[in-house]
Amino acid sequence: MTSKDAVNNGKTAEADSRAEGLGIGWSVLSYLIAGMVAYGAIGWGIGKAVHVSVLFPIGMLVGIGISVGYVIHRYGRQGSVERNDR
Amino acid sequence: VIGSVRAVAEASGGCHLFSGCGFPAPGLQDFDFKPIFSIGSFHFTKPMLIGILCGLSVIAFFAVAFARPKLVPGKTQSLAEMGILAIRDQILRPALGRRGDGYLPFLVSMFFYIFLMNLMELIPFFQFPAMSRIGFVWPLVFMVWGLYLFLGFKNQGGFGYFKNMVPHGVPWWILPLLFPIEFLKFFVIQPFTLGVRLFGNMFAGHLLLSIFMVATWYLMSFSIGLLWAAGSAFMVLFVFILELLVDLLQAFIFTTLTATYLASSLDPGH
Repeated sequence: MTSKDAVNNGKTAEADSRAEGLGIGWSVLSYLIAGMVAYGAIGWGIGKAVHVSVLFPIGMLVGIGISVGYVIHRYGRQGSVERNDR
Repeated sequence: VIGSVRAVAEASGGCHLFSGCGFPAPGLQDFDFKPIFSIGSFHFTKPMLIGILCGLSVIAFFAVAFARPKLVPGKTQSLAEMGILAIRDQILRPALGRRGDGYLPFLVSMFFYIFLMNLMELIPFFQFPAMSRIGFVWPLVFMVWGLYLFLGFKNQGGFGYFKNMVPHGVPWWILPLLFPIEFLKFFVIQPFTLGVRLFGNMFAGHLLLSIFMVATWYLMSFSIGLLWAAGSAFMVLFVFILELLVDLLQAFIFTTLTATYLASSLDPGH
């Protein structure tokens, strides 16, 4: 491997990790919003049916809890993100 | 002294400090334009003109660059090649690898269209990022959304696409808990954040730039106000450079995320 190749490989690795980081970062945000919205909607629907309006905020909190747990499970541990083979 | 300054400010005809009128703060009204022409109830406005011009410019640039491709490229061709290679090596390959090369034309045209549309914010006479009207963002988002859903269903099958949304190796009783989140993420939140990010950045950038531009004019007077005007003018320069970076970055982020979404559709469980 020449030094030019090494520089190129370094650049490729940098671009790889940049793309991966961007993807993961926005995925995490999407999960947090999705958890809140999904369980907020479920809580709101059940609350509407049984006439307990407090189920809406409770649903949102439960949703945030689930998505935080999910994000930690999926991305939180070191090396938990497997790299695909190229 | 204040009296003479007031006289000068009033003579200039504009709205200035000390002339008794308040700061004409830029706001939502700056994003609405009088129609250039109207056909019935259809109004053709400046953002539409910018949108069409940007689209045509990108097409024209690449058509000219590769009209007669040479082995030893001329200036236009090497510029176009540099752009395409940058998209391939910085955006496409990191996310999709070599098998994604077929999507290069899509990503290249998307990147340059968004970048040019954003740059219009800084080019005199145009001075408006059309992407700060959210209607210009949604068609791009719908294209990406339709493409990654189509590829997902095509490559993983109708049932498989939903099955692969949740990662493998998760206890079965957690799956029903995660499914609403994953479903909402893929179908609603992901395209929503993709669009709103671009729109929000361009909207805020244009507002910021116009606030300091208007303030420079508003504070201009032959008094201590001149110092404030100079400060505001400096901020215009600063925000201008910042926006140049934001324009490039937003085009880059939009295209990179598009590439990663396509990758997750092509690659199950990712």
